[in-house]
Parts: sequence; structure tokens; C-alpha cells
Amino acid sequence: MLAKFADWMEERFSWRSVWEAIFLRKVPHVNWLYTLGSATLFVATIQAVTGILLTLYYVPTPDHAYDSVVYITTQLPAGWLIRGLHHWGASALIVLVVLHLLRVFFYGAYKYPREATWITGVLLFLVVIGFGFTGYLLPWDQKAYWATTVGTRIAGVAPLVGDWLLRIARGGTDLSAVTLARFFGTHVWVLPAALAALVGTHLYLVIRIGISALPERNEQR
Amino acid sequence: MKDKTPPLGRRDFMKAAIFSIGGLIGAAIGLPAIAYVIGPALTQATDAWIRLGAISKVEMGNPTLFKTTVQTQTGWIKTEEEVSAYVLTDNGQDFVVISNICTHLGCRVRWIADDGKYHCPCHNGVFAKDGTVVSGPPPRPLDRFQSKVTAGILYIKRG
Repeated sequence: MLAKFADWMEERFSWRSVWEAIFLRKVPHVNWLYTLGSATLFVATIQAVTGILLTLYYVPTPDHAYDSVVYITTQLPAGWLIRGLHHWGASALIVLVVLHLLRVFFYGAYKYPREATWITGVLLFLVVIGFGFTGYLLPWDQKAYWATTVGTRIAGVAPLVGDWLLRIARGGTDLSAVTLARFFGTHVWVLPAALAALVGTHLYLVIRIGISALPERNEQR
Repeated sequence: MKDKTPPLGRRDFMKAAIFSIGGLIGAAIGLPAIAYVIGPALTQATDAWIRLGAISKVEMGNPTLFKTTVQTQTGWIKTEEEVSAYVLTDNGQDFVVISNICTHLGCRVRWIADDGKYHCPCHNGVFAKDGTVVSGPPPRPLDRFQSKVTAGILYIKRG
């Protein structure tokens, strides 16, 4: 039955070749540091799932944001778990992304022909930082409010365009409902769209080109 | 006799292990997620007695409208909800509390003393004094609240 359905699908989608290309590659003889990219992808998936679940209850306005977060954490079944996973997953994601980046950097894995993989990876790093910065404001508690006050003020000290950057980030001169709404919109629409496009490209390149070999000492070529 | 089941190869073992661990992780998030999503739908409304008012205000033989506000919490928002009901008594001791919500589509019915009937403004539903349907689209009589009288105060229970 299941095999029949799989054949039916295969005839129309030719998914087996896709499956083989993605999952049935030869296991490369490298070390555990090469799993950091997969670990990053795993945590990013957790973040997407828990993030979608959080939006079912979270309301991004100053009069409801904090109360809705408290409601999620204290009243809903497993709400503490969903929010906790998203909270700790955020930190884990930053750590993993940085470690993954350092591995690629110190192994020289960004070199020809993998420059595009590296560039999309660096953009993904920026997207993840953006997720962290915008997500930090959303609980709308004291820590969130003042962290974003400081964070946007940092943008404000940039020469010439600083004041503009600060006003664009905040949607005005002060932190307000506008700031919260645009941080939320960025966090759940703009950045996920960028993430999906970049992860897609990044993974395509990893599978298409393959991963780099371990650099050898005294390599002579 | 030959063992018919083929030995579990390394490849099959790895496959089974990966799918099992993946399934476990999926369940660890998926099952709490179900509880999280349907949670608010499972909470029952608290059925506390609602203080409606003093029975001395009820007119003998005439439905008297009582209004009161109830504090309810939906999600993280506290709201005051108005509860109103017609109270009916023939002897000043036994009270019938009738909901003023039309059983057709939920509009509020009004007691018109002139013809001695409840009228619904939305689709011309008409109910008799005891709440039974006289004419119009309502499918059933007006709902009644469970009620009790303590020290001259009338209490009702919803649901």
C-alpha cells in the first residue's frame, strides 16, 4: 500500500533522485566539527516551529505584549516549554552559527569554489543577529525595553546617518508601539523570508558542491 | 530450521535509529504543541453563583429585568460582562429566571407589558410570559437560569 503510493508519487514527482541527492550522499571522513551546520539548521527549525506556536497567542502591542507573554508562560499547557525552547534556542542558535562560521573560517572552507556558500552563510549570520535583536524586544519587559533603547542608540552614533538609522529603527524618536510593531513584523515576516531564501541557497550549494576536505599540514599543490 | 528474518544490517540499524530519534524529537515538541494549541478551548467556565439583586424589586406577576455585571477573564484580558435576565414570580416565593437572549440568533428580547409577551427586535420572535415560543423563528423556549434565594437576594448560575 505504502510502496504503491510511493511509486505513484515517484512517477509524478521523481522525488527519489531528490531524496538520494540530499540524504544518500557518501558519509565524508571528516570530524565532528562538520556537524555544526546541521546542528544550526536543527535549532533554526526548532525556532521556526516554536516561533509559529508563540504567534498563536502573542500580541505585539504595548498594552498586551507583556500580559500575553505572561499568559503563555503561566497559564497555557506547555506554554513554558514552547517559550523556553524559543528563548534558549535563540541563544543556542547564535552560539552554533558563530562556531560553524569559525570552523569554516579556520579550515579555509570558504575558498574556491565555495565563495557563494560563504557569502550566503555570512548573510545568514546577519539574519540570525537580526532575529536576536528584534526578538529581544518582543516580551516588552524592562530588560527588553532598555536593551532596545541601548541597541538603537548604538545605531544612532554612526557618523552622518546615525540619527536617521535610529529614527528608522524606532519608527520615531522614542521607543513606542510603532517600534514594537515593526520589530515584530521584522521578526516574523521579513527575517524568516530572508532566512528561507538564504538557507535554501546555502543548502543547495552545500549539496551541489560538497563539503571541503580537511586542510592538511604542509599541503603542497 | 532456517531463521527467516534477515539479520539487522548496519544500514538498517542506522536507518531505524535515525527515524526513532527523529520521531522522539518530533513527539517531544509535537505533543506539548497540541496541548498548547487546544489548551484554552478546554478550560471550563467557572460556575459561581452570580448575585442578581434583591427579590423585593420583583413585581408580582410581571417579568422584571435584572442587570448585573460579571468579571470574566479571557486569555490575559479581564472584562466586565453584563448579564441580564427576566425574573418572574407569581407568589413572591418561587422565582423563575429567564434569559433575555433570543434562542433564534442571540438578540436581546424585550418584555412588552401591553401585550404581555417578549418580543425579539431582530426577526420578530415572540415568546409568552413563561418563555415558550408564540410565533416567529425561535426553535425553542427562552433559556432558564438555575436560581436560589439567600437572605432576600436572588442568585443565578449560568450554563
